Amino acid sequence: MRIRRSRRSHITLVALLLAPIIAVHAQDTTDVDRLEAQVEAITRELEELRLGRDLVVEADTSVYGFGPAASKVYKVAQGVSLGGYGEVLYENFADSREDDTPSGATDRLDALRAIVYVGYKFSDKVLFNSELEFEHGSTEEGGSVSIEFAYLEYRLTPTFGLRGGLLLPPMGFINEVHEPPAFLGARRPETERQIIPSTWRESGIGFFGGAGPLSYRAYLVNGFDATGFSASGIRGGRQNGSEATAENFGAVGRLDYAGVPGLTVGTSAYLGNSGQGAVLPSDPAVTIGARTFIWEGHAQYKLAGFDLSGLLAVSTVDDAAEINELSGLTADASVGERLIGWYLQGGYDLLRNTRSEHQLVPYLRYEQLDTQDRVPDGFAASPANDRRLLTLGGMWKPLPNVSLKADYQIVSNEADTGVNQLNVNLGYLF
Amino acid sequence: MLLGVAPRTLPAQLSLNEALRAAFPPPARIERQTAFLTERDLVAARAQAGPDAPITQSVVTYYVARTGQRTVGVGYFDSHRVRTLNEVVLVVIVPPDRIRNIEVLRFAEPPEYRASENWLEQFEGKALNADLSLKGSIANMSGATLTSNAIVRAARRVLALHRTIRPFGPVAHAQP
Repeated sequence: MRIRRSRRSHITLVALLLAPIIAVHAQDTTDVDRLEAQVEAITRELEELRLGRDLVVEADTSVYGFGPAASKVYKVAQGVSLGGYGEVLYENFADSREDDTPSGATDRLDALRAIVYVGYKFSDKVLFNSELEFEHGSTEEGGSVSIEFAYLEYRLTPTFGLRGGLLLPPMGFINEVHEPPAFLGARRPETERQIIPSTWRESGIGFFGGAGPLSYRAYLVNGFDATGFSASGIRGGRQNGSEATAENFGAVGRLDYAGVPGLTVGTSAYLGNSGQGAVLPSDPAVTIGARTFIWEGHAQYKLAGFDLSGLLAVSTVDDAAEINELSGLTADASVGERLIGWYLQGGYDLLRNTRSEHQLVPYLRYEQLDTQDRVPDGFAASPANDRRLLTLGGMWKPLPNVSLKADYQIVSNEADTGVNQLNVNLGYLF
Repeated sequence: MLLGVAPRTLPAQLSLNEALRAAFPPPARIERQTAFLTERDLVAARAQAGPDAPITQSVVTYYVARTGQRTVGVGYFDSHRVRTLNEVVLVVIVPPDRIRNIEVLRFAEPPEYRASENWLEQFEGKALNADLSLKGSIANMSGATLTSNAIVRAARRVLALHRTIRPFGPVAHAQP
């Protein structure tokens, strides 16, 4: 018992001596646990701030047991999206034409475009997107303010959606993607201005989507107005969504394949009447159909410093003679029954093997087009509309979104009236 | 369905946990870890990422997937601005330091600028070197330059952080 008592007293003594140490240790453990919990909470907060509450909070629901419905509200990412691009273009024309007669051309320095993109995402399925365009500096000096596109989009699935509003017909490279840093050349290819009348916008509805390497778009839009067609092409027939005559509509569709990295191959076509209810002046009983067909095929390879592309476009216009009568066009001022154009271009980034973000891309483009490749019987084609352009130049991009391009264009035509020109383009997109 | 194109299975808008679980299905265990980078770590990571892929965060959360004792991969989430709105991607890295895949989890810009699965496949197997750039072996997405740039930068940033944190290394330092 004594021993026991003695042992008990020893244990009591030791316990009394260790008690403060145990208490301090317990206190330390609690502090470390608390600190760890605090650090954990802070890092979770940080993660939530960085990645977005909708992504992280729902993740935590499975951890902390919140019901899925409680976090649904966070799954809707909304907001305004702003962007834009612009370009200033200097054109210096040669004093003489191909045939050595004075060109009479005046050099120009033009604040060509300043564009603002505004979009709003109502939900993950519904969004609005638009491009507001200011051209040529000032409306007081002949410039313009336009809506380039403005559409609502309803994405039913990731591979299929509906689109309606003022749309860009999906033809060629330039009509949909025309930010200057995105393409070679201080000026857009003429084929994509005259045969495909970029920038071409019309009101309509359609669908779009893609699966794997394939993407597609197809729209129904209001048709051209043939009274704007001329010997230089169908460009003047665009209605631009401005109180457009909608007696005739056109269908346009596009299919692209991008299954090989860097390579895009595709085609698109448009078909629709352009008469818009106009009747033949000499016989009012005859309504002019002016069926207009545009087809193009394109290929692009952008990889490992190379930027290569080519495009072929053909347009046909029915009832060209009737359109000529309607518009009072005679002789070689006739609207072309068939228009054709193509180009090949290539560039290579000389700084590709450097770590610099800069790009220095010399480029070359060869282009042929004829807006009167065929004219109706009784009319003539102007040899001046059968053109060839050779463009040699370079693009410097200090950043992917900023470009300075300079090139020289050797312009020739069958009438020997081509005028060479030097172009400098300062462009940006954001 | 249209023009001979069949629709693929429709992915939902994945949450963080769903994305991780899809990347590392069972029996893999996923552990959340956080690295606190020193100034020296940041300098090293920035040097590897390059000047066009800025690294500003010194607190990096990552997710290590293990099967048994074996580390099978690490997932990093990167949030970055595309045009004016943000995109969030999950970059999955497998030993030693190569990208297995990139998954876009959030994309607030118009969908036509979103990276396609086909385009993202270019990153599979890529390591951090000069070739991992739009000047190198990554093709630009036609008409979506800003998205292309943003994802290439994210890939470089994540790989540089991964090399600094070294979760596959003998000592996964800088953990709390």
